[in-house]
Amino acid sequence: MQTEMFLQLMLPGFTTGCVYALVALGYVLCANVSGVVNFAQGEFVMLGGMTAAWLIGQDVDLIWAIAAAVALGAAMGAVQEVATLAPVRRAPHFIQITTTVGFAVVLRGLTLIVAGKDALSIPGFSGDDTFELAGAVLPLQSLWVWGATALLLAATFGFLRYTATGRAVRACSINLQAARLMGVDAGRLRLLVLAATGGSAALAGVVITPIVLASWDAGIAYSIKGFIGAILGGFRSPGAAVLGGIGIGLVESFASGYVSSGWQDFIVDGLLLAYLLLRGGILLRGRAAAMAGES
Amino acid sequence: MRDALLARRSLLAWVVFTVGVIAYPLLFPGSYLLGVGISAGTMAVSTVGLVLLLGLAHQLAIGQAAFSMVGGYASALLCTEAGWDPFLAMLLGSVVAMLFAYVIGAPILKLRGYVLAMATLALHLMLIVFALQVGFTGGPIGVTGLPKFALLGLPLGGDRAYFYTVWALALASVFIGLNIDRSRIGRALRAIAASETAAGSVGIDTARYKVQMFVVGAGMASVSGSLVVHYLRATDPTVFSFNYSVNLITATIIGGLASVWGGAVGASVIIGLRELLRALSLPLWESVIMGALTVLVLITLPSGIVGLISAGFARVVGRSQASRVSLAPFAPEALPPVETRPANGTMLEVTSALRAFGNLKAVNDVSFTVQEGSITALIGPNGAGKTTMFNLIGGYQPLGAGTVRFRGRNIEALPPRDIALLGMGRTFQNLLLFDNMTVLENVMCGAHRHARQGLLPVAFGLPAVAREEAAMRTLAADCLRFVGLRGAEALLPSSLSFGHQRLVEIARALALRPSLLLMDEPASGLNDSETELLSELVLRIAALGTTVLLVEHDMRFVMGLADHVVVMDHGEKMAEGSTDAIRNDPKVIAAYLGSEPVSEHAA
Repeated sequence: MQTEMFLQLMLPGFTTGCVYALVALGYVLCANVSGVVNFAQGEFVMLGGMTAAWLIGQDVDLIWAIAAAVALGAAMGAVQEVATLAPVRRAPHFIQITTTVGFAVVLRGLTLIVAGKDALSIPGFSGDDTFELAGAVLPLQSLWVWGATALLLAATFGFLRYTATGRAVRACSINLQAARLMGVDAGRLRLLVLAATGGSAALAGVVITPIVLASWDAGIAYSIKGFIGAILGGFRSPGAAVLGGIGIGLVESFASGYVSSGWQDFIVDGLLLAYLLLRGGILLRGRAAAMAGES
Repeated sequence: MRDALLARRSLLAWVVFTVGVIAYPLLFPGSYLLGVGISAGTMAVSTVGLVLLLGLAHQLAIGQAAFSMVGGYASALLCTEAGWDPFLAMLLGSVVAMLFAYVIGAPILKLRGYVLAMATLALHLMLIVFALQVGFTGGPIGVTGLPKFALLGLPLGGDRAYFYTVWALALASVFIGLNIDRSRIGRALRAIAASETAAGSVGIDTARYKVQMFVVGAGMASVSGSLVVHYLRATDPTVFSFNYSVNLITATIIGGLASVWGGAVGASVIIGLRELLRALSLPLWESVIMGALTVLVLITLPSGIVGLISAGFARVVGRSQASRVSLAPFAPEALPPVETRPANGTMLEVTSALRAFGNLKAVNDVSFTVQEGSITALIGPNGAGKTTMFNLIGGYQPLGAGTVRFRGRNIEALPPRDIALLGMGRTFQNLLLFDNMTVLENVMCGAHRHARQGLLPVAFGLPAVAREEAAMRTLAADCLRFVGLRGAEALLPSSLSFGHQRLVEIARALALRPSLLLMDEPASGLNDSETELLSELVLRIAALGTTVLLVEHDMRFVMGLADHVVVMDHGEKMAEGSTDAIRNDPKVIAAYLGSEPVSEHAA
């Protein structure tokens, strides 16, 4: 009974954790190549879910709706880099961060105008049935979430490991300055990473929508939880960020199951705050301080 | 000249705002437009607070609405549950919010940049969940049935009376904000934004001012929150949402981050814009336009509307100031004496200092002393560990082992700020000036430690503060003249040549009136004639009673100047003695100077 309850909480937590993991990965890759923490990261999840759901509502086929959502996410990522981040590249760091918050607000606002205030849903890709795994009952869509996450992670890590461009991204994560001096075209990488993380977050948003609904104001929650995942992973290693994101999904699910769903966000945010305050000194000496900078 | 300009500009701002506030209800007596004015005023109370920490010190504490929530709920509950007078409830609410900010401020403000942003955001979201979940806040329904606003029984709840009340409080926040902005605390905040290292080097307690501004901002946010709930006569967890915080930030950015008036202007513009969009039946566009405006202003106009206005004003009234400046050569004015409380003639005593990075011993068992009144030079080839040694003395890096005694006191465990306060000034090899302040203000930061008046007298503009401010200004101007920069007071450091910027840095360190001045490669980047002037300056500094310790590899510069030379190589002390002794020391000649005598070297 206890184990069943545990699994019934763990597996859905793992499913939402997959989305947080992709957001966390986006944070880390973005910060590595540009030195900016992109607070619009979670909005791309929202954007993907809302775009697909809205298009399906307009009788567009699922596959085209998914393609359009991913394309829009990638395009918006590129727009963010070109229109908002590139112009403030030399501005004080706090201005760069605030710019990403402004861009997040624009994405939310545009979605609100186009798709409206109501939460939207998508039917499960393979129907809305459930299946049983080790005694836990899960929606079939969970398999799609896991599959898409596995695919995106494999693609990302394969890219990082086996391509020259991927190696350049990793070089940036070790030392941004040195990588630039070694001839890494940081501008091109930033564009690539922003577009890629925008697109993959959008895909995550599409596959999770049959389970949790999409809404114009849902992005901030993804931004925060993905951030927690990234920071638990040290904000540097993509792999650690993924684990951190999944961990947050689990914590959130256990908090809602064993405590109460009302207090769930309190617990997760409290965990973040406690962690930040306790680790404050260490973070300041590490890379986070360098990126947060003095400016 | 600049002060006169500032005073005129400030007076004009006060006249415009006061007349505007008085006239608005007379021009727009309808309750809808009065309501718009009230919204703008309540927001302005809060945005002024945001300018101090976010705008001046660049600390991304973005959860301002958390404190509006604390204050709003506190005064709502005090009024409905305990039957308090609304005004007193507002005051107590802000005390509660400020206490809360004080308790959480010290740990949370150790964080920086995006980490601070997330931490404050998390705090805010936790409070929203808390208000939803616990019983006494009324859960999702919140608190309803608040009485109309009143001041000790005097009803101020009518639209017009409330408008004046709200704006009186908004202008009071501006008054406090301006007083802080123009004081040494304001300079300290700008110094934090520019370089916390440099701020510490002149003895500015950065952590203290961050927490103070967090508390002041919380107080203002809380008053603003109380005003909002009294206007709504109810509150619930959605009133002070994340969006509310974003709107505050947007308003501050659009109005002008670097100016207290920017908070008030931004709040008015944002609320006006919102109502305009509603009037045009485009309420959904609010968020897009706010977000886009924020980004646009950040990119094209980082100083916001107020920055634009004051630049225009300066062009009309001030004309070009730069054209009138001429840099006078060294003027022989004297400076106030330094504290000379020697410890048996020994100013600084380094004993067995050790600093290792992994296996590399950057400083290995180095001991030397600096005699009071001397000019001592620490020389050695690149990588000898000179700068590391310097950082150990100043507290910028922790000592692995050994002791450092300054004026008879062990300082190896102290942070740079405390060491500066004991009377040790320093300059930096690569210059760390505050580029967001004028040359004079930079040097006034050096005089920071001579002032005593704290936050409260500063906030309320007491006369003692003005006297101290005048004294700091005089001292800073004297220091600038002493280094030969008369006329550069109102310029930005970045508009000066590298050599002159170095002089500003020296003047800033001199304004500490240091017993010991550490100079890290002061001649680097200077041409020959500048180097010569620098030698002369160092001699005059020493003649004033300040002991000087130089790190340098320009040998010619050192040999003409120093009384005592310490030579380091590979982290160890290789030789020590008078310039003559060093010049003829075969070990030094072999390892560092080559085989020729020093005097023929141009280094």
